[in-house]
Amino acid sequence: MNKYMDRNRSLGEFVHGEDDDIIICRCEEITKGEIRRAVHEGMMTMTEVKRYLRAGMGLCQGNTCGKLIKGIIARELEISASQIEECTARGPARPVEINVLGNEVESNE
Amino acid sequence: MMKRYDLIVIGAGPAGLSAAIQAAKNGVKVAVFDENKSPGGQLFKQIHKFFGSKEHKAKVRGFRIGQELLKEAEQTGVMVHLNAIVMGLYNNKEIMVNENDQTNHYKADSIIIATGARENMIPFEGWTLPGVMGAGAAQTMMNLHGVKPGSKVLMVGSGNVGLVVSYQLLQAGVEVVAIIDAAPRVGGYGVHASKVTRTGVPLYLSHTIVKAEGTETVSGAVIAQVNSSFQKIEGTEKHLDVDTICIAVGLSPMSKLLKMAGCKMEEAAGDIPGVDENNQTSLEGVFIAGDVAKIEEASSAMITGRISGISAGRYLGYIDDEVAGNDISKLKNSLAQLHKGMFSPENKGRIDIEETDEGYKTSESLLKKGYIDDNEILSFPGVPKKKVVGIHPVIECVQNIPCNPCQDACKNGCIKVGEIITKLPAVDPDMNCIGCGLCVALCPGQAIFLVDDDYSDDYATVTLPYEFLPYPKAGTKGIALSREGKRVCEAEVLYCRTNTAMDHTALLTIKVPKEMSMKARFFTAKEAL
Repeated sequence: MNKYMDRNRSLGEFVHGEDDDIIICRCEEITKGEIRRAVHEGMMTMTEVKRYLRAGMGLCQGNTCGKLIKGIIARELEISASQIEECTARGPARPVEINVLGNEVESNE
Repeated sequence: MMKRYDLIVIGAGPAGLSAAIQAAKNGVKVAVFDENKSPGGQLFKQIHKFFGSKEHKAKVRGFRIGQELLKEAEQTGVMVHLNAIVMGLYNNKEIMVNENDQTNHYKADSIIIATGARENMIPFEGWTLPGVMGAGAAQTMMNLHGVKPGSKVLMVGSGNVGLVVSYQLLQAGVEVVAIIDAAPRVGGYGVHASKVTRTGVPLYLSHTIVKAEGTETVSGAVIAQVNSSFQKIEGTEKHLDVDTICIAVGLSPMSKLLKMAGCKMEEAAGDIPGVDENNQTSLEGVFIAGDVAKIEEASSAMITGRISGISAGRYLGYIDDEVAGNDISKLKNSLAQLHKGMFSPENKGRIDIEETDEGYKTSESLLKKGYIDDNEILSFPGVPKKKVVGIHPVIECVQNIPCNPCQDACKNGCIKVGEIITKLPAVDPDMNCIGCGLCVALCPGQAIFLVDDDYSDDYATVTLPYEFLPYPKAGTKGIALSREGKRVCEAEVLYCRTNTAMDHTALLTIKVPKEMSMKARFFTAKEAL
């Protein structure tokens, strides 16, 4: 089992960082400290952090913060960011109003 | 019936349009979808002259290349759907598109994804304040919408994007207070750095942004020095009086549609799609082109677009295998020319390059200070080592970058780059320069100057590329600045020349004391500095 997947490994006590109040996910207003704490509480993938905090779930769909969140998780776990699994990509790739999705045209000339 | 095409291209930037044109030329029925209201992607905000050689459209300004592409797309019958937001790509090559608040579905037998890239951000205290923006966003505001992003800007990042946008901010009349970079070396081309430093913009390397000050909007910035492990050094904080902070710290591919369709990535957790030698992804018939495949210049994006267009045409049976193979290998040769030199993909991030391809010692000061030091300049082949009688070019292009318009510009054969376009331009010592100045105006790096040490007993003339409006009139008195952007002497404008071929790069000829002809590299009518 690699270091990343070892969920029993201790990350040590959570220590408050001086830049913990910086907002990382602007759409949902999630701070760096919240993301770091989530990792300490057992969230080790992008998907887990997203579902736990809604980070990356707002209007921009993680386009701005995705990479930042990945970096924070990686630093907290002391592994390379390339090992952090990304969120599942699914449509809609751009924000869309539900009435537009509902306004689906089946026969399109 | 769902609307069908032979080929759907997603993204109408340089890569997508090139791909569509190439396929359409071969009879493929192509539709391009783009979420923006006008096509061209980022090309129309590229107001600078491109690098490369003739076949890469070197020395042509980016937006003009965009106009050419649009014309070609129209002539070849490419259909462009604008304001068409592709929301989904599914593995049966179906796309879901938001058009006029209606969800439409289209299908094709082949798909090319050319969705480009997005700007990376770095978080710091106050980074969410209005006034902090991507450098690309600032460029869009200025060059597409004619709006100044601010009046005093701090640029974070010294790569080509940071340097080019800084220069364009200056052109728009915005003050660039500083350019900073956490790395100890300039990230972009030396020529791009030089044309900003010579105007007096300070460059702080090994510096990071600590915070953006302000409550409602940015009212200042604090920067600090970093050590070799990029950690802030306490006590080195410095306040800068700015109202705008531009972030130019790289780009990331927008590959979400591909992931959604199940395309394999180069690294399992990464965002770079894996491709074969014909730009085909792990999904049969789905190709990629441009920045979504690899972050590069628009010149490369247009070539990879054409390769994908041919590959898709072959996949669809419109292009014969052999013809496609030949065309692709020609395009790959053209791409390979752009991939040589100090900034090539394989040299990316290398800091141990001590010599140019020709064996000249690299300019340390260019990397560490953003300009070539007086004591280094004479060692390069574009700079005459002995006294030359009369007017002659001085070429301050000292890094192996893919570019050769200077060679074509000189009809008298004074300038030689050679077959390999990353070689340093050399000036023939027995040249017959007539002082036409075309090399000066056509050099995309603005690295060529004409010097005439025999103007009079006491004075020499320096002719420099100048792209700031209004052009100074003959007789204007001001000061000459050094490569470093420091005052060197008083100077007087003798004349300012422009013509169509020079395409808005004016030739400004100034008169300076003889001993300053190899120091004066910019002119300002302002007394300050």
